[in-house]
Amino acid sequence: MNPEGWKCPRRVGFLFPHECERTTPDGCVDCNNGQVGDPFAQRTDRYGYNDYDRYRGRNPNDFTEADGENLRRSRSRYEDDMTAS
Amino acid sequence: MARRNRPWLIYALGGGWGHLTRAASLARAAKQRHRVRVLSNSQYARQVASATPELDLVALDPSLEAAEVRRRVIEEIEVFDPGCLIVDTFPRGLGGELAGLIASMTATRVLVHRDLSPRYVAQCGLRSFVQSVYDLILIPGENEAGVFADLPAARITKPWLIRDPTPRQRRGKYSVLVCASGNATELAWYGATVSNLQTLYPSVDVRCVAPVCPPGCLKDCWIAHWPAADLYPAARVVIGGAGYNTIHECLCWEIPLIARPWPRKYDRQWLRARRAAKLGSVRIVKTPEEAAHAAVRQLKELRVRRRIVSFENGTIEAAALIEHACARAFSAPPFRSAYP
Repeated sequence: MNPEGWKCPRRVGFLFPHECERTTPDGCVDCNNGQVGDPFAQRTDRYGYNDYDRYRGRNPNDFTEADGENLRRSRSRYEDDMTAS
Repeated sequence: MARRNRPWLIYALGGGWGHLTRAASLARAAKQRHRVRVLSNSQYARQVASATPELDLVALDPSLEAAEVRRRVIEEIEVFDPGCLIVDTFPRGLGGELAGLIASMTATRVLVHRDLSPRYVAQCGLRSFVQSVYDLILIPGENEAGVFADLPAARITKPWLIRDPTPRQRRGKYSVLVCASGNATELAWYGATVSNLQTLYPSVDVRCVAPVCPPGCLKDCWIAHWPAADLYPAARVVIGGAGYNTIHECLCWEIPLIARPWPRKYDRQWLRARRAAKLGSVRIVKTPEEAAHAAVRQLKELRVRRRIVSFENGTIEAAALIEHACARAFSAPPFRSAYP
């Protein structure tokens, strides 16, 4: 039983690692009920698409880490950084 | 003071050069007819102030805590009591501090709509907020058109530039100008790019414009200058980021740009770079080595330069549109009808 407000800290995702945020690992297809420590790193179904820099058959400039950064952002982090742009 | 004669205040908070440079561009165009003040917390405010002493610039300490910045912003706005509040990029303010204030202001409210992350827009309900609060939405360049572009108050202008483009020199004084804008942590990338150029292509004359000399960059080729646009006519290729100013300046000057998009919290540099690549000579790179090779390839490809025949700086039209919005608000009855 996880404490109230618990969110899974594991990294999930296909091209971009992002926070899982599930409230329980029970029934989770990414970590297989909590058995996989880093689901993003341990995926085996990318068929050669290892990360957004090496997207086979695509121009490597189609994706940069800026794309990944944009998708990784946690939803609760806006309007808190007065040096952002 | 009569509402008609009250000054304009440009809210230009945000890191880096972009917000402040855009605000300075508009203030420069409007200052002949209006008193204009710019409010900024950029770490580069001192450089901008020394280069433009005529600019009425209130520079907040960039190291202040967020809560203190919010408090100071509200205080500055209330004391200045502008007739027109022009908010750059962040409709609710960078820290959300305008949300509780702006709707109750008697000032004409103008949003400068640089591109914004759609996630942020959705999470904070910005579309309905903008629609209900702002009298005018200015889009400084067609390529910046984003999620508010279809609102009735939106108007597109040409890009806003701090300098009007001038014809370039027949032969560039420098082969490559590395424009190291952005965050301090990104300076190392630009320094490595300069170093790569000098190692791989010793005959290429390279200069690097940056607020401080980037690590890896020789002092001999470092130039501390703002605005970097002053140096463009002397360059044949620019290597830079994909922020608003670098992209639009290079497109307007018709100078080839090797662009390195950086991740930002709200801006989508990669999108701007890709859009620009469809319009002009813009190549997207990631590593310093790629940038060096791309710049030299670009130098070899250069053909006869086109001269800029005519160009209208979007700030002129923007100032006129703001004037028009202020005049309309001034002549409007005190209570706005629900049926326009």
